[in-house]
Parts: sequence; structure tokens; C-alpha cells
Amino acid sequence: MFSAYYLQIIILVGINIIMATSLNLITGFTGQLSIGHAAFMSIGAYAAALATLKLGLPFFGSLFFGALLAAFFGVLIGVPTLKLKGDYLAIATLGFGEIVRIVFLNLKITGGAVGLRGVPKNTTILWVIVAAILTIFVLNRILKSRVGRALVAVREDETAAESMGINTTYYKILAFGVGAFFAGLGGGLFSHYFQYIHPNSFGFLRSIEHLCMVVLGGLGNIWGSIIGAAALTAIPEFLRASADYRQLFYGAILVLMMRIRPEGIISGKKSRKIPPGKTSAWRGKNKFLKATR
Amino acid sequence: MYRKKFFWVTLLVFGLILAMVTGCTQPETTTPQDGDEPDGPVAGADVVKVGMVGPLTGGAATYGISVRNGAQIAIDEANENEEIPGVTLEFISEDTEGDWSKAANAFSKLIEQNKVDVIVGAVLSSETEAGGPIAMSGKVPTISPSSTATGLTIGNPYLFRNCLSDEVQASQLAEYANVELGFEKFAILYTNNDYGVALKDAFEETAKELAEVVAVEAFMDNDENFKPQLTSIQRKDPEAIFVAGYYTEAAKIAQQALEQGLEVQFFGADGFYSPVLMEIGQDAVEGAIFTAGFHSGDESPVVQNFVNKYRQLFNEEPDMFAAQAYDAARIVIEAMKSKGTSSEQIREGLAEIKDFPGITGNTSIDEEGDTLKDVLILKVEDGVFQRLR
Repeated sequence: MFSAYYLQIIILVGINIIMATSLNLITGFTGQLSIGHAAFMSIGAYAAALATLKLGLPFFGSLFFGALLAAFFGVLIGVPTLKLKGDYLAIATLGFGEIVRIVFLNLKITGGAVGLRGVPKNTTILWVIVAAILTIFVLNRILKSRVGRALVAVREDETAAESMGINTTYYKILAFGVGAFFAGLGGGLFSHYFQYIHPNSFGFLRSIEHLCMVVLGGLGNIWGSIIGAAALTAIPEFLRASADYRQLFYGAILVLMMRIRPEGIISGKKSRKIPPGKTSAWRGKNKFLKATR
Repeated sequence: MYRKKFFWVTLLVFGLILAMVTGCTQPETTTPQDGDEPDGPVAGADVVKVGMVGPLTGGAATYGISVRNGAQIAIDEANENEEIPGVTLEFISEDTEGDWSKAANAFSKLIEQNKVDVIVGAVLSSETEAGGPIAMSGKVPTISPSSTATGLTIGNPYLFRNCLSDEVQASQLAEYANVELGFEKFAILYTNNDYGVALKDAFEETAKELAEVVAVEAFMDNDENFKPQLTSIQRKDPEAIFVAGYYTEAAKIAQQALEQGLEVQFFGADGFYSPVLMEIGQDAVEGAIFTAGFHSGDESPVVQNFVNKYRQLFNEEPDMFAAQAYDAARIVIEAMKSKGTSSEQIREGLAEIKDFPGITGNTSIDEEGDTLKDVLILKVEDGVFQRLR
């Protein structure tokens, strides 16, 4: 039906949708700026690959194992960095990402600097679609529940949330854990698609790429992240036609998009302006919907 | 107002997507992207497409661009001299940004969209590792001019390479240093990536058999300060240090060793081969001995022809990557001449290459797709490279 090239792009779009939506839970909805998402992806990628190679687990088992291990580390990073906010948290997650990359670069079992070869090619388009839909579904259910509203409350004002009886510590760790779980799932699909993994693909730049998808799509909106992930995966491939000017165009598109819509393609936060012809009651009516969409 | 703005943004996004989709399909049918063919393919003549994959942007771009330039010269020569009768070669290069997962995209694009018959690439070992399985399932022969990872080509009949593996270089150098030059106490300082680790392992193995390795220390790419490692090496008092890494770090290591009063013989591998070694290292790198795949000071006419053409076209000195890429592309052309121009015929031709007289030495390809060629040993003398062996 499709050529293998388009199929590959679609698979990568699917994996990046998982990555972007799960990062959106942490950064967009809970308001915790994380630039170490690629680290959770690499933990999932390596754990799933090793589970298949060394433990002989079936594909589903490996994916689950990788995702669980990533979630464990998500909680682990969540605990010591809870007291940090904004830029400080970003730097801490950045440091965590570098630690993970360097550990994988030096471990014997992960193939170290040579990379891990011979991972079986189990990831198919069907697996990716199912995993992406599952991720979107689960995140959507979480966000539409009491938990989702609590996460948004933590983002909007931590002190106010605390005074309303929300355990902010618990919800922040929860966001990191769930986000990392799905990032690990994406990583497992990634390693079983390329049949080879090397730590240098999970560095700082990939974390930034995920963050770009979330910000470009719209912080705090799941559908925005999906569009952002699809756009930022497909655009560099389409731009291959422009040969040497590719990165130039890519950068220009990012700048343009941010200039035109700084709030992202689909904005998650409610509009501050009241449209002409509406009274201030309009904002009240939409407030609840917009905050949790 | 809100609606209106949204409408314009949607229009813009759709416009962009449309432009990209049409822009993406056009070049295939009209003009070749990278090939320098002013009057296009002659009617009746076959066009054989040669793809190239490598980092053309990002931190490793210097290697990728050298490879593209070197291969381009070989393709242009073949077209000018009509080396393969009735066949015009088209050259298409794709960027990887130095990321192996993007290299996989580049391989897929060349094979599925451009329908290339053969690929010269990829450049970094991790890129070739990721692209190899794609080339195999697409049945497109691929020859890497520079991926030196151990065992890379094993188990993939479509994957070849035209560069010395790290093991061969390092073990031959260890033997030379001990048997010919008489060094007995070695220290190893390696960069912790696939290149450095493979060199270290092979050198350590051979050196331990013949002599003694007293210290092994690691550093990271782009490190600036090597004093801690050098201090710990100095305590073990070696006669020579083997630096398994690239020229920038090697030059800094040599300088800092001199500052510390550590006077030893420096050995290295093909990562030393660049004039930048002397630019940064100055007197500290004088006398350093290293293995190389190419020596631009070689006086043979084929080498000088390549060096002159490269200077003329790209206004810089060709490096080892460019030379190995030129040879890789020449080997592909040789395979086409001997067997034919379909992918399968090129693969057969590549597998049978014996004693091909390239600018990087006589080259044969073994049953695993690996290269057998002479290892050059060079020395820095008065700020220029001189050939020892």
C-alpha cells in the first residue's frame, strides 16, 4: 500500500506522538519543565531490547518491562527534584538525561560505545498504532478525571492547590511516573524497529525535539501534541527535497510557527480575550472545558 | 478576530504542506539534485543512480562533506570519460545530521523514493549499523568509506566497506612499535566512543602479547583537560602512549603531556590524519607516529590527480575521508564495469574486487565484505607527514 519509506515515517510519527503526549502530561498539564524525556525513552529502548535478547521475553512483555523500568526511573528522578521549579528543574532533568546517556555509553551489557546490535524487528505499524491510541486514550482518561484536574491545579498555582487539599508532591511524582512509562513504551518500539540502538541518539537534542513538538503543538493540549509530533517528524523528511538548505528551512519554519502562534497550534490554556459580542460570562462557561481538554 | 486568525494559520499550514509535497516529488522527474550534468541524460543512455548517506549538517558534518566531495569527483570522472559505455551516473546525497535513526530514514528514502542502484555510505559506524539492515532488505549494495566498527559487515551480503577496521590498524601498529621500534612499556589513552574502544581493545591485546601495557585511561569527546589521566599515566612511567582518538584531542593531550614534563613517544591511528594536528599541537606532536589510510604527500600520479582536483573544486586539502570515499566510488564503478549495472550485478562485482589500485593503497574485498589493504604508517617530521611504511 505504502512504500517502505512512507511506512517508516508513519511509524516514527506514531512513536513521536507517544513521546510528545507523554511529555505534555509532565510539562504541559502539570507544568514541570522537563528536558530529559529522551533519557526515559532510552531506558525503555535498552530495557526492552535486552529483555528480548537476554531474557527471551515475547515482544509485548519486553515493551511492558521497558516501560515499567522507565516509570521506575521517572519516579526516582521525580522525588529528589520535587523542590525545584522552572529553570532549576529543567537543569536537573538535563543532568539526569546526560547521566543516563553516559551510563549507557559505559555499560558492558548495552554494548557501550559500540551500540546494541541484532535487536529483532518486531515493531510493525499495527503495534505502533495500537500503542499510540492506547497512550492517547489513557492520558485522556487521566486528564478528564479528578487526577487531571489536580495536575492542572498544580500547574496553575501550587500554593492554591495545596490549600485546596491537593497533595502536590504525589501528583508531581505521578505525572513523572506516567509520563516516563509511556516514554519507555515509545523507546521499546523504537529499538525494535531500528534493530540497533546507540546512546548518541538519546541525547539533549532529542529531548529538545520532544519539547519542541509539545510547545509547537500547544502546551496542555493532547491533540496539539499529536499534530506537533506529526509535523516535526514529517517536515524534515519532506524538506529532503531542498538538499543543503534543509536545516535552514526547518529552522525558519520553527521560528515562523512560534512567531505566528506563540501559544502553539492548538492552545490548551483559555484565551484571555473575550470575543466581541460575548459577555464575561462566556469565559466562565468555557473555563472548565478548556482547562481540562 | 479569533476565527479569522485561525483561518489564516490553517491556510498557511496547508500551503506549506502542499509546497513540500509538490517540492518533494518534482526533483525526481526533472533535474538531478546533486549531479553536475548540464545537458541531462542522453536519450537511450541508461541512468544509474548512486546514493550517498552521511552527516552533511551537525557536529560530524566535516566527515560527511568530505565523503560527498570525494565520491562526487569519482562519479564526475566516470561520466566525463564515459567509463561505462552508454551509462550516465547520477549522484544523490542525503543528510543524517550524524544521528543513526535519521540515517535509517535517509537509507529508506534513497532506496524507496529515488530507487538508487548502489549506495556509498554511511559515514559514522552507528549510521551504517542502522542502515545496513535496510540496504539488505531493499537488496541495494552499500559500501561505506569510513565505518570502522569491528564486525560491521558480517552477516550482511549487501554491506561492504573500504576502510581499515580499527582492529587491523591498532594491532599492526602495536606490532610495529614493538618489533621495529623496540618499545616495551605502553600506556593507552582512549576516547570513549565506538572508535576509541575498538582501537584500545585491539592495541591492548597485541601489545600485551608482545610487551607490557602499564596504564589504560579514558576521556570523552570534546574534553579539554587531560591532566588527571596524564598524571596517573605518568606515575606508571611508560615509554610510549597510544592515543586512540581524533586529532583535536590528540594534539591537546600531547601539549599537556609536554607541560607536565611527560616525555614519551606518541602513537595514534587514522584519527590523527589532519593538518589541524600540527596547528593545535605545534612542537608537542613532532615525532608522533600513526597509522593512516591515505597520504596526500604521496607522489604517485593517481594520488596527485585526486589531490589537485579536490583543491581546485572545493578549495581545501582532501582528508582521509575524501580519499576513501573516492576509492569507494571508484570500486563501485569498477564493479559495474566487470559485472553490470543492476544492483545484484554491482553486489557480485563488489564481492569479487581483488587488488584494486586505489589512492588509498591496493584494495581487496574478502568474503565478509571487509577490506584488505596495506596499513600506511606516517610520522610527523618538521610539521609535515612523512611515510615510514
